[in-house]
Amino acid sequence: MWKTNLKVLAIALLVVGFYTTVAHIIPQLQSEVPEALALGSGVTPEALVAAGEKIYNGAGGCTACHGLGTRAPNLITDYKGQGAVGARCGTRKPGMACKAYLYESLTQPQAYIVQGFDPIMPDMRKQLSDDQIWAAVAFLESQGGEVDVTGEDIAKSAPAKGAAPAPTGPAMTATLDPVALYSEKGCIGCHQMDGKGGAVGPSWDHIGSRRSAASIRRKIIDPKSDTTKGFEKFAGMMPATFGQMLTAAQLEALVTFLANKK
Amino acid sequence: MTPMLALLQQAVTDTTGAYGHFPGVGGRGAVWVAAEVHLMFAAFVLGVPMFAVITELIGIVSKDEKYDKLSHEFTRLLVFAYSATALWGAMLLFALTTLYPKFWAHMTKIFSVSMWIYVSLFFVESFTLYLYYYGWERWQFGRGKWFHWGLGVLLNVWGTTVMLIANGWLTYMMSPPTGATAEGLPKGVTMWNAIANATWIPINIHRLIANAVFGGAIVAAYAAYRFLAAKTPEERAHYDWMGYVGNFIAISTFIVLPFAGYWLGREIYQYNQQMGITMMGGFMSWLWIVQAVLIGVLFLCANYYLWLGMARIPGAERFVPYTKWMLLLLIVCWIAWSTPHTMIATRDELVSMGGAHHPFLNVLGVMSAKNTAVNLMILTTFLSFLIYRRANKESVVPWARTGTLIQGAMFVIAAAVVLFYGVYGYFVEAIVRIGFSVYQVGAVLMCILGVSIIDAFIGRGARSRGEIRWGQMPERSQYALFVLAVTFTWLMGLMGFARSGIRQHWHVWEVMRDTSPDAFTPALGYAANMISLCVLIFLSLVAFIFWLGGLAERASHAVAPEPHGVAIPPGIAVARPGAAPVTGD
Ligand code: HEC
Ligand code: HEC
Repeated sequence: MWKTNLKVLAIALLVVGFYTTVAHIIPQLQSEVPEALALGSGVTPEALVAAGEKIYNGAGGCTACHGLGTRAPNLITDYKGQGAVGARCGTRKPGMACKAYLYESLTQPQAYIVQGFDPIMPDMRKQLSDDQIWAAVAFLESQGGEVDVTGEDIAKSAPAKGAAPAPTGPAMTATLDPVALYSEKGCIGCHQMDGKGGAVGPSWDHIGSRRSAASIRRKIIDPKSDTTKGFEKFAGMMPATFGQMLTAAQLEALVTFLANKK
Repeated sequence: MTPMLALLQQAVTDTTGAYGHFPGVGGRGAVWVAAEVHLMFAAFVLGVPMFAVITELIGIVSKDEKYDKLSHEFTRLLVFAYSATALWGAMLLFALTTLYPKFWAHMTKIFSVSMWIYVSLFFVESFTLYLYYYGWERWQFGRGKWFHWGLGVLLNVWGTTVMLIANGWLTYMMSPPTGATAEGLPKGVTMWNAIANATWIPINIHRLIANAVFGGAIVAAYAAYRFLAAKTPEERAHYDWMGYVGNFIAISTFIVLPFAGYWLGREIYQYNQQMGITMMGGFMSWLWIVQAVLIGVLFLCANYYLWLGMARIPGAERFVPYTKWMLLLLIVCWIAWSTPHTMIATRDELVSMGGAHHPFLNVLGVMSAKNTAVNLMILTTFLSFLIYRRANKESVVPWARTGTLIQGAMFVIAAAVVLFYGVYGYFVEAIVRIGFSVYQVGAVLMCILGVSIIDAFIGRGARSRGEIRWGQMPERSQYALFVLAVTFTWLMGLMGFARSGIRQHWHVWEVMRDTSPDAFTPALGYAANMISLCVLIFLSLVAFIFWLGGLAERASHAVAPEPHGVAIPPGIAVARPGAAPVTGD
């Protein structure tokens, strides 16, 4: 009987050993925690780019989508003859400079959807801190373009201690023109109006016949409320930050405008 | 408050009190081992009762005593396994409270009510088990037997409910409802919402099936061991048969598991693309290669066992020549399946490969090839089963030949559909290609269903070419059963790593960050060491339980030496001249 016992033991060890060995000979990839950066206002562009490269290849998880070319546009190699991302970033949105566009791509990825792709890119603010995001922007700029991220950008967008978080994203303008706000604040990325814009969310044509002004106001401030019928699958996709990005006057301008689109 | 700021605050308030220390493997390692071994035992005590009630029912209906005996034997193992489950559960609980107090406080805050229900159910479940086991002789006949069987059903109901609750906790960690924060659930979101989260149902289904598979594999390994230790031909025959049944259940339920897995994967993608992509293509992409190696071993061993089993069936010689072709097909498919596909490429690698995909791996590595390979392996295994069933039968129905031809045609059509879409998949967009796997799977399932139905009719009143000589099985075959059991156990450990690893540095995805030094997700080599450790702990304990089972059996015989002892109940043919008549498989 001992012989049998030993044989059974040997088989078990052999099988376990075999699988363990297989798992050891494949590449050993480990998923890192995003490293907390402490990039002050005096940081050099080189340091930013180096930190950004680490985030891009590691903790940022960017390569999971951008490393393949099928799920997301290539960033560090050419995409459709438009060059690497540093070269094409300035031409994406008229009037938007490269740096602002890249920052927006990472923080409000749905604001502009590159044609041919699904709006799957996550808001990186959930994963990365602000200086990490700026470092990633610097790294992307270095891919075919010029790095103009500075310590000041980080300081500007970092939340002031103790105070309510400052609005993130491109600097606010004071326009009260709803149509300008429509494109400036990125609603255009998801909502169609007069045949323009992305078709992720409901079209804005005739929205006033569906919703009252109060309901629209609430929807913009708290997008999780009262999901539009037929769009349940997309619930939660609309950024919840508009309440902080719009001034009260801008918000009211948009609400009145929309409520009147019967 | 922006999510980022909330996280920063969390990090600041996370003083050293958030995590405990554990010597040697560290806090994470300790929780890992406790959770995994607990889970393996839990799967055991969920899977085996499913078996026990089904075999008991077959016994009641067919009045065949051997099934009742089998069921009783399973239940004896359960009594010990139950205490082991509870023990490891307690260890896990203590590990969590002492090593991850802050995280655990978060969980108890949300789930406390369900935790009370959980322990009460566990209590009720143990009592049901004791009644079921110790009442076996008392309620053996007539209505009493049905009552007894009802206890078995109840045992399953309790066990499954316990699992559903625990699944609620762990799926919450993967896919918490929107609005949850480290402070708890927002107003209007209840504990029930946290339990019934996006991945709860798919995990429930997946685990339920996997438990049946696991139960079957462990039972088969137990039988294999008793077979090797058997002293009399009767015992050998009994355990040979038991091993066959265990293996049959394990493999046939295993075949549906990938479909449940696809569903789970889809739900994960839908909940969070990034999580889904981390799972399939991110730093975990290599995990699926290891998984493919394991599943390849499973298919090969299962088929090998069946082919060896033909030796005990008169009439099976006719089919033996085909097995080498089936072996070849299995191996080719295995290779295609284990070929890596999407890997993270760094910039230099991308440049040197001239694109995102390796020029050679690209062809074999994409989903089309993999789906084709897996579906062909399933078809081949099904064919083995079919041949095995047919081996000693000679159909008497007049249309037997036509029927067999139709069956053959079904196989050919299914294989052709699988191949066609496999090849066509290279020429279409990814999004279309994903749809193709549905056709492939559909063809295989239709084939399995159609062929089985025809087979049932062809087999009606079939003439026997001779009885199955249970017990006449080379010892090698039993080692194949061990390999299967060890592989299933390891696979469970690996999938557990995949499931919890995709959360990466989050205790609760995007709600509660892991700020301990162990927050990074380890590479597969380290994970494999941990998995192997868990598997070895589990298997040694199981061996101990089997040994105890043997002791208990001997003790009960010593007290009341039954006249038939381990003698073979009617209905089992023994590899001995003049044995009782056989009923086949
Ligand atoms: C879940 C997949 C996913 C992840 C992870 C992801 N992205 Fe993206 N990204 C996309 C997709 C899809 C697009 C194209 C659609 C769009 O514009 O949103 C995109 C677009 C972009 C663009 C705009 C490209 C252009 O050509 O205009 C930039 C810049 C970018 N991502 C940077 C990043 C960085 C940096 C990371 C890591 C911190 C990252 N992404 C992580 C999916 C992802
Ligand atoms: C990332 C994509 C996205 C962006 C950007 C976006 N939205 Fe939305 N929005 C949605 C989706 C998806 C829905 C429908 C699902 C829901 O109700 O939550 C929606 C619904 C709405 C509705 C309700 C529509 C109806 O017919 O019921 C309003 C109003 C609205 N958004 C306003 C805005 C405004 C104003 C902006 C810009 C300041 C904006 N959205 C930007 C995705 C977006």
